[in-house]
Amino acid sequence: MTSLEIRELGVHLGNREVLHDLNLTIPSGSFAAILGPSGCGKTTLLRTIAGLVRPSAGAIRFGKQLVSVSSLVLPPHKRNIGYLPQESGLFPHLSVGENVGFAFKKEVKAEQRREIIDEMLELVGLTGFADRKPHQLSGGQQTRVALARALAIRPAIVLLDEPFSNLDHALRAEVSGEVVSLLKKTKTTSLMVTHDREDALVSADLIALMRDGRVVQSGTPESVYMAPASADIAESTGDILELPAQRLLKNRKKLISPLHLSAKKASGDAETGSILIRPEEIRVYEKKSNLPTAKITQIHYYGHDAILELALPGFSKEVKVRVTGPLNFEVGKTVALEHVGPIRWVTKKPTDE
Amino acid sequence: MAIINPLSAKKVKGGTVENPPSPLLIFAGLVTLSLAALPIAYLVRRATQIDAQSLSIVLFRAKTLEIIFTTLSLALFVALFATALGVGIAWMLNNVALPFLGLIRALVVLPVAIPSYVFTYSWLSLGFLPSGFIAAVVVLTLSTAPYVTLAALAAFKRIDTSQLDVAQTLGLNQFGTFLRVTLPQIRNAVGAGSLIVALYVLSDFGAVSLLGVDTFTRAIQNTYQGSFDRGSAAILALFLVAISSTVISLEIKSRESTVTVKSSVQITKRLPYNNSIRVKLVAAIAIIAYLALALVAPLSVLLYRFFSRVSPLDVTELVNAAFSTITVSILGALIAMLLAIPVAFLAVRGTWIGVWSERAVLLVHALPGIVMGLALVSFGSEFPVIYQTIGLLAFAYSILFLARSVGSIRAAFGKVPLSLTEIAATLGQTRSRTFYRVTLPLAAPGVLTGTLLVFLSAMKELPATLMLRPTGFETLATEIWNNTAIFRFSEAAPYALLLVAIAAIPTFLISRPDRESERGELQ
Repeated sequence: MTSLEIRELGVHLGNREVLHDLNLTIPSGSFAAILGPSGCGKTTLLRTIAGLVRPSAGAIRFGKQLVSVSSLVLPPHKRNIGYLPQESGLFPHLSVGENVGFAFKKEVKAEQRREIIDEMLELVGLTGFADRKPHQLSGGQQTRVALARALAIRPAIVLLDEPFSNLDHALRAEVSGEVVSLLKKTKTTSLMVTHDREDALVSADLIALMRDGRVVQSGTPESVYMAPASADIAESTGDILELPAQRLLKNRKKLISPLHLSAKKASGDAETGSILIRPEEIRVYEKKSNLPTAKITQIHYYGHDAILELALPGFSKEVKVRVTGPLNFEVGKTVALEHVGPIRWVTKKPTDE
Repeated sequence: MAIINPLSAKKVKGGTVENPPSPLLIFAGLVTLSLAALPIAYLVRRATQIDAQSLSIVLFRAKTLEIIFTTLSLALFVALFATALGVGIAWMLNNVALPFLGLIRALVVLPVAIPSYVFTYSWLSLGFLPSGFIAAVVVLTLSTAPYVTLAALAAFKRIDTSQLDVAQTLGLNQFGTFLRVTLPQIRNAVGAGSLIVALYVLSDFGAVSLLGVDTFTRAIQNTYQGSFDRGSAAILALFLVAISSTVISLEIKSRESTVTVKSSVQITKRLPYNNSIRVKLVAAIAIIAYLALALVAPLSVLLYRFFSRVSPLDVTELVNAAFSTITVSILGALIAMLLAIPVAFLAVRGTWIGVWSERAVLLVHALPGIVMGLALVSFGSEFPVIYQTIGLLAFAYSILFLARSVGSIRAAFGKVPLSLTEIAATLGQTRSRTFYRVTLPLAAPGVLTGTLLVFLSAMKELPATLMLRPTGFETLATEIWNNTAIFRFSEAAPYALLLVAIAAIPTFLISRPDRESERGELQ
């Protein structure tokens, strides 16, 4: 069990600065997820932690051990890292058991090897698979063998690079659930890179959001979802509506916007900005007086819930609202809207796109 | 073959931990580089020793011009005909549902196991077929067509069959699809195959000598043997090297520009088309005709000669020659393997030493056997210890065919995903341990294929063997040559049959479809 601390990390690949002034701390034993769009440098970050990429600046610490300071780096084979790449990366010429026991030193006796291999395979629920070859396994089994192999070295930290991306949808939830709960149960400090928000939100204790080579926000899944630092950042954890608004200076809870009070009804000085609203923070009524109305332009039905797209008078973009329960809406109908969530005020004027 | 692994390619960027190759590896690469450069260096040295007068005689006599013309037109005609024949056969194998397809596939490649001088021998020993230019075109076309067939088959396989389906839904018929979808995608690979054929013709010695066609190789041999004028021979050899290296650089260029776009989905295994009975019949007749001419005819002549000979079979001599052939060829193949592994590994990693060694190796590939023989005779005459030893002959083989070995081994190394070596690193393995535990075992089939290719080529090699073998050391190839050159066809038959039989084994192993990706492009 080791904590991970990254300070002012910079990485250049060729002439491009991929990571810049990146800071991140992961407490010992927690499961962290790095969430970011492709090209933001998240895989590079993972590979730098593993020692596969040489940084140009900054420091990385595993617990108290400094593994990388500016360009002085500990080579990967001395870092004691468990690494799960995208494609499970099993050695095709070796059996499952040989894969799991790949890192054994010569001193380890055959009996002891067998014991550890069996223990690891049992841990991932693949007892008796030691003599199979990787190509005889399903995708989910391969991922679990890769995990057993990573855990067999009793790693300080486990790094996962979109480890479930090549599994099909149904299997994915199952395998990722197992892997994550196993890593949490064994209190292994883990860092997973993903571009799938649900993967990150569901499994992580700590989420770090990355943009353009730096961590722009980190915290618990709830805090990064509920209190995003900006509209742009909010988008990485879910749909967000950025609505231009004004708020009264004497009562900051009073908002003037197409979704709140109309300007006529409010009086007094106001500042201009915008508010950020999640789709589930707007309530929809078939009919209710005193509320702004909007026309349904499109319905995305997902089964367990649905997203309505609405045309709100006075606002040029569509408004997305999540509704649950039986669906008695249809396109073209006019409904009443009420903003029920917290007020996330952004003073900066929204940029016109 | 410049296979770039799609998985590793995106990760090989500057900035990955610089992994300077170990000094031992660099040293090994430098050894290969200098050994590969040695023959050309000696050739140049020998050529510069010639005085100006004899130089102008060699350069400006009408005969030289005639040799250039004959050599180039022979290469051109054979390349053209072999390409047409090879692509045709490949198309039929790929698109026509013939019975015994697996057997046919193995058979159409088999003419590669018959050396051109054996082919020519069977041609001449019939007694009524003519010698000369046209005979050389026919013989060489029949025996080199498989090179194009293999290249075209591999290229056909790389085409995503869904593209062909789409083309047909867009209103093209089969012929239109071939013309507008298939052909543009196989053009470069087939072009590379044709250039390999051209290279083969340029370096061929046996067929042209027996058929009396005055190409460079024959002229070099005559100059060298007639007058022991090594200077003039070296000048002619450099001429030939200039032509061959032009061909090889064209070949590299066309190979590198081969681009096949695959859709992201896995390619579905294609079922043979529902051909009309007419198409099947035409294809069957065409393939049977090819096999009859290129395989059955020469083998029957050999068998006929074997059984109709008058002198008793000297088993001891036959076994000795076979043993010599196998020993020296294996030795050559092993040396080539040892020289090729560091170069291939360094080249895959993109290090300068690897890239330069690889280029040198490819340039040396343009050296015809007779030129290599000449160069090493010059070299050996200065170091009597190695002159006329089996070691020097094996070394000649290894350098002559090093490019085949490097090509296969490099392709095999290139296919080992970088992610696997990285995982090995995170699992506590040093670079050398990773190489022995991951890279080498995964590349082993490719290494074996490359080594078999050298073994096969060495076994069939004639001109360098004639020049470099120790006195009294007879291989199957030299025995065939000695007997054929004085028209003792029946005496040559047992050696020829045995050589073809032995050569058929690696030919079969290498040309198996599952070995396709391991073969590299240089056959």
